[in-house]
Amino acid sequence: MNTEQQIAAFRQLYTALRAEIGKVMVGHETIVEGTLAAIFAGGHVLLEGVPGLGKTLLVRTLGDILDLPFSRIQFTPDLMPADILGTNLVMETGDGRKEFQFQKGPIFANLVLADEINRATPKTQSALLEAMQEKSVTAGGEMRKLTEPFFVLATQNPIDQEGTYPLPEAQLDRFFFKLVVGYPSASELTEVLTRTTETSQPKASRIVQRDTLMEMQQLIRQVPVATHVKDYAVRLVLATHPKTETAAPIASQFLRFGSSPRGAQALVLAGKVRALSQGRFNVSFDDLQAAVLPALRHRLILNFEAEAEGLTTDQILQQILKDVPKDKSLAPAAS
Amino acid sequence: MSDLQVIQQALQRAARRGRWLRAWRGLWQGFLIGAVLWLVFLGCYKVLPLPAPTLAVAGAAALAMVPLGLLWSGRRAVTLAEAARWVDLHENFQERLSTALEVAGRPQAGHWGSLLLADAAVCARKIDPRRLAPVRLPRASHWTLLTLAVALGLGFVPEYRSQELRKKRLDAEVIKYTGERLAELTRHSLEQRKPVLDNTQQRLDAVGQLGEHLAKATVSRADALKDLASLTDKLKQDARQLAQNPAYKRLEQAARGTGGEKNSPANARMQKQLDEIQKALGKNPAAPEALDQLKKELQKAAQAAAGLANKDSAGDSQAKDQMSQSMANLAQQAKEMGLSLPGLEDAIQALQAGQADLLVRDLNAALTDLEKMKEMAQAFQQMQQQGEKLGKDLAEQLEMGQAQAAQGTLEIMILALKGGALNPEDLKRILEQVAKAVGPAKDYGKVADFLKKAVGEMQQGKGGPAAENLAAAAKELERLLAEAGDLESLKASLEAMQKASFCIGTGQSWMSGLRPGQRPGSGRGKPGKGGFGTWVDEEGWLEYPEISDLWENPPDDRGALDPRSALDRGEGQLADNLDPTKLRGQLQPGRSMPGISLKGVSIKGTSTVEFKEASMAAQSEAQNALSQDQIPRAYQGAVKGYFDDFNNLKK
Repeated sequence: MNTEQQIAAFRQLYTALRAEIGKVMVGHETIVEGTLAAIFAGGHVLLEGVPGLGKTLLVRTLGDILDLPFSRIQFTPDLMPADILGTNLVMETGDGRKEFQFQKGPIFANLVLADEINRATPKTQSALLEAMQEKSVTAGGEMRKLTEPFFVLATQNPIDQEGTYPLPEAQLDRFFFKLVVGYPSASELTEVLTRTTETSQPKASRIVQRDTLMEMQQLIRQVPVATHVKDYAVRLVLATHPKTETAAPIASQFLRFGSSPRGAQALVLAGKVRALSQGRFNVSFDDLQAAVLPALRHRLILNFEAEAEGLTTDQILQQILKDVPKDKSLAPAAS
Repeated sequence: MSDLQVIQQALQRAARRGRWLRAWRGLWQGFLIGAVLWLVFLGCYKVLPLPAPTLAVAGAAALAMVPLGLLWSGRRAVTLAEAARWVDLHENFQERLSTALEVAGRPQAGHWGSLLLADAAVCARKIDPRRLAPVRLPRASHWTLLTLAVALGLGFVPEYRSQELRKKRLDAEVIKYTGERLAELTRHSLEQRKPVLDNTQQRLDAVGQLGEHLAKATVSRADALKDLASLTDKLKQDARQLAQNPAYKRLEQAARGTGGEKNSPANARMQKQLDEIQKALGKNPAAPEALDQLKKELQKAAQAAAGLANKDSAGDSQAKDQMSQSMANLAQQAKEMGLSLPGLEDAIQALQAGQADLLVRDLNAALTDLEKMKEMAQAFQQMQQQGEKLGKDLAEQLEMGQAQAAQGTLEIMILALKGGALNPEDLKRILEQVAKAVGPAKDYGKVADFLKKAVGEMQQGKGGPAAENLAAAAKELERLLAEAGDLESLKASLEAMQKASFCIGTGQSWMSGLRPGQRPGSGRGKPGKGGFGTWVDEEGWLEYPEISDLWENPPDDRGALDPRSALDRGEGQLADNLDPTKLRGQLQPGRSMPGISLKGVSIKGTSTVEFKEASMAAQSEAQNALSQDQIPRAYQGAVKGYFDDFNNLKK
């Protein structure tokens, strides 16, 4: 299959995925698109929202659609790392001898739902660090590779703060996107009621094979990006670094730390997925701008002043988008 | 054409358009900068004592900003990559063109490169440079117009300049202009006649240098007046010294007299005119009255010819014959008078040929010629009358100060004496003439001695030695004439210096200021007063001798209007027309002079003004009053002497 055919296949697959998810999920177009972008880019997603908005449903639906091993971990305060990663157990062999054998935890799947991830202790949360970045697990002195593709789709509740542990910065940075799930509109809610309170329950069918997904991930990485577009991504990320020459004024005023290079990577990869999904062969400034909020919002750390004024990282990023010009070079006769 | 070529072609067009638009915007930006620059300078000029050329420089700089802005903005060509990015941004092509252009250039572009180029080519075909970048006034133009409007408004705001500064500036202008005029007059004077005496040459050079110094250097009013006063004193001293020679009085009188010197410029001009008239009118020019009579007869003939032209020629041959006869008589009369009237002869021929139109035309031409001849005859008569005023013999010539005529007479005598073949009667006549001239020659220094010796030699019958003595007398006269010329030059310079002092002292320009000694009211006549004005040199327009020949009333012939110097008359002696007894009121000679208030400085109480400054102000005020005839003629000498004494006090 040549590139053109691959691109056509990607568009077809993307459309099919959107349609299949749409059978179960009502509304939340941005969330669905963001999740799909992360999956095609090979990144993890943190879904944040109040209970009952369909976060878990979305991940479960994805598990149904993608022909990939799916596991769900319900994070609780007493959850231990071994409960996620697995542990060595004493097992009796066929000849009656006893020996330690590694019992794989739920992390050993392609699609992992980390439900209410902020309810586990930092120690348990940190068990995911290696898996999310290196896609491997080290237990009992032995490192075990996870099978590709590997996605962690985590959810967290922003309001129920008692008995929760905020995710550490290193953990947050490993998420490709942080998607904030909002309330549905009236029409969407009506549709939700229709679908969930009647006899027929919509069910998504499995349409994507593992190999196809891997191919698409490779295709995404081939999408060309012009130098000045990359430069825009870099300038956006650098603008979030407070107290530097490149910092946007608002970043210097309200941020304690800016985005890591993973933020820039996320911007470009998400841009590529968006470009291809919209029928283009190149990444545009608009693609990067569309990815700025989900890719960078969890990578910025507010300072005390911002906290005191009730500012959010989304507000700061929107201001940075206004401050950083798309094209740094002078256009010949731009008015 | 490949996709890449399509893209490149479209981008090249866009780049050219972009470059021109950038230059257009730069032009307006340059205009704006220039306008702001001009506004700033204008504002500064209004409140600060900047020199006027600053505005011209600022204006030039402001104007230069416009082409500079155009060139600066349009100097660099727009690259294809820049154009691609610009078009992408402007046309919302989602970076298709710029990415395609960049990726197409990569060696590993592969299939992605083709896809990108094909996609971008679709966009490139939609590019219309005119729509992409329409020519419109940039934002800078609005600000430029606003700035220019403010600058225009500011132009009507009066400048803030202190009284002192304005006066200083005016003084500087007057000093500069006066200096220029002084230098120019001196240069002109030296070009016209080089002084004989070294001292006079030095003084005139000093006047010229002072004029140049005043014109070039920034000199204060006080310093300028001081320099002028100092040099004026020296000139006066020199003039007095030269004027002590009684011969100069005679020469000056002769120069000022109606006839003047025989060989003076006016007489030379007159002689030239006489020659020309004589050439035109013949050896014995007819009297103007005879010409007038002839003209009247010719006019009658012309009227008759006009009547003849209107009548039917067939029935009036008798009138023709009569006319032919009268015209022949007229031609004969003209011939007898020595006049040449070709028009009349042509008219006779035209009458014989029966050409009535030509007849009238030729008669009119003859009339015009005759009118001219009549005027010339009148002028000749007048000139002859003037010429008769010259001295008849050597004694009279010396008496009347006609030194050059006397020189001529002496030369004739010398030639006669040297010829040797002189009969006793002629020798006696020469002897009598020379002996008679000894008395008048006493005013001419050594001339009288030489004449006496010549008389002695001639009485002894020695013609040769007598001729030598007469030659020495002629040479002495020549020397005296040259020195008198120097005196005239000195007086002219002195007059110019006084005028310069007056101009600088009163702050009036050279042109508007009246010359010291010049009588106001003797100009072109004032409205509401009786009589008529006389053309005088109020603005220096008569100072150009090369054109003064062109008018009828040259200044040389108007001796009555020239001021008389102290050499002409003694203290208290005035010309007839200036007799003080004619004045009304209490102004009588011998009585005390009525008080005249001078605006310069107060002479009462204690003054903090320095004497030098006060005396200069008083002097210039007095000079002004003298020039404008505020002081009666009878007292002008006293006033002048009084203020001249200030210079001695200053020393």
